[in-house]
Amino acid sequence: MEHRGGTFYRLVAGLAALLAALVLVSLMVGPAALSPRATLAALLDGEGPAGIIVRDIRLPRTLLAVLIGATLGLSGAALQGLLRNPLAEPALFGAPQAAAAAASLVIAFGFAAATSLAVPIAGIAGAMVSIGGLVLIAGRRASLTVTLLAGLALASFAGAVTALILNIAPNPFIALEIAFWLLGSFEDRSSDHLLIALPFLVASWIVLAVNARAFRALTLGEDAAASLGIDIGRVRVLVVIGVALGVGAAVAVAGSIGFVGLVAPHLVRRAVGSDPARVLLPAALTGAALLMAADIGVRVIPAAIELKVGVVTALIGVPFFLAMIFSERRMLEGSPS
Amino acid sequence: MSAGKQVALLAERVCVQLGDAPIVRDASLALRTGELVALVGPNGAGKTTLMRALAGLLPADGRIELQGRPLAALAPRQRARMLAYLPQGHVFHWPISVAALVALGRTPHADPFSPPSEADRAAVRQALTMTGTAAFADRSVFTLSGGERARVALARALATEAAILVTDEPTASLDPRHQLIVMNLLREFTRQGRSVLAIVHDLTLAARFADRIIVMQDGRLVAEGPPAEALSAARLADIFGVDAISVTTPQGTVPIPVRPL
Repeated sequence: MEHRGGTFYRLVAGLAALLAALVLVSLMVGPAALSPRATLAALLDGEGPAGIIVRDIRLPRTLLAVLIGATLGLSGAALQGLLRNPLAEPALFGAPQAAAAAASLVIAFGFAAATSLAVPIAGIAGAMVSIGGLVLIAGRRASLTVTLLAGLALASFAGAVTALILNIAPNPFIALEIAFWLLGSFEDRSSDHLLIALPFLVASWIVLAVNARAFRALTLGEDAAASLGIDIGRVRVLVVIGVALGVGAAVAVAGSIGFVGLVAPHLVRRAVGSDPARVLLPAALTGAALLMAADIGVRVIPAAIELKVGVVTALIGVPFFLAMIFSERRMLEGSPS
Repeated sequence: MSAGKQVALLAERVCVQLGDAPIVRDASLALRTGELVALVGPNGAGKTTLMRALAGLLPADGRIELQGRPLAALAPRQRARMLAYLPQGHVFHWPISVAALVALGRTPHADPFSPPSEADRAAVRQALTMTGTAAFADRSVFTLSGGERARVALARALATEAAILVTDEPTASLDPRHQLIVMNLLREFTRQGRSVLAIVHDLTLAARFADRIIVMQDGRLVAEGPPAEALSAARLADIFGVDAISVTTPQGTVPIPVRPL
């Protein structure tokens, strides 16, 4: 056990170091490339043009990528723990789709430009409405199947609303703006976006992390976990709320970003001995590192139009995910019963 | 243990409904300290539902007491420290190690934010040793055979060190050797002054190992007593619809069902 504990701390330290390195690179790259030393100096003293670039432009974007990546990784790991299914992902209960629909609505009807703060606020409100709806429809004592089906219905409805808005958008430029926004990006996000999202992201981490022990007990199935003193109904409601808060806020400020929540837990699961509680922190760090790397990627890949980070995560995520399914077929096929 | 007559688990007129359907009706039973009691009955008699109600997993009418305290008044973790429940099937959802799985039995004791205590470690070690699973403690639970899984699942329940163990078909789908190993473990457990209530489908096995047998049919407990009495040929014909012969072995007289009626 001591040995395994040591491995865990080494894993966390390694991921944290990787993330710190990526953060530094993220602060360095952009139209005006800076050396590591100049970047750190600008970050610390904030003086001159370099200070403005690093502190006011790149730092909020970088922090958002890290915090949202961590939220997606943690949400994925938590949902997989709750559902005891390695294919569960944060979009499962409809919160991100609802956030996207609400944000699209605001952009479409000219309440706001796609980068204004009305968009994330509407997105968060949309996510909240979807959670409320889900808890109302499914109820506290509902089975997992009912909750999943209700979530699926809400997600489909939110998707239909988004499609409707695109369909009836007053002019093609607005439709294009919504479509681009939906692809997911950290471009031009400011510290205001960060401040709006932060309370929701932090709340979601807390709400999800307190269930770590329950996820571990759920390895035995719901009945056995309940017999060990775990309140399964409470765990289910907390996870639905935690995921909706975090992922809803993430979508609200950055648009839809797929695959991070699904892939991040897989990358570290074996390193923690498949322990569904221990996987949470490494999955969050991995999600942060993945999204940070993707956002660095979109800035350094030469392209006439900056690629959207959601496009990159999906393009890289899908083949990667297929490769992983292929190599871990035996584990995914589960225990022999 | 001088407390041989103490009641560990008491049920009085317990009724359980699932939806509108009454599944368990007026079930009353007492499981005494150090006793191994087998609950038998045809499929659909309500055995699992009764057992889940006794384990506090289903709302039930009537009175259920654990060691003299009303089940309804116990906090979930408190209840979990007194009663361990082992559902049928032994399904494990993640490929964690055997040792980590057995350590889940300590969940009701553990402080969520501190590492396992010496008592936790000792209980896990003892459960692994008792079930003969210590040799493969580091293996993933996905690599185990059916017999190994049954022993590991039992070790998880034993690691809780609860006074009462309630187990649903612990010997299902096991080979004869593992059936005997599991029943011997349950016996061993009662020798430590704990109590076991087990659903058993194999009447021969139930008669051989149980101190008492409770027979359930259509949601009611219809007979109760020492194996020879509870599992008389007439009752087996009546309740189970089988013609059975009695065979006397060095371990006692056991029924062997020979043909359906």
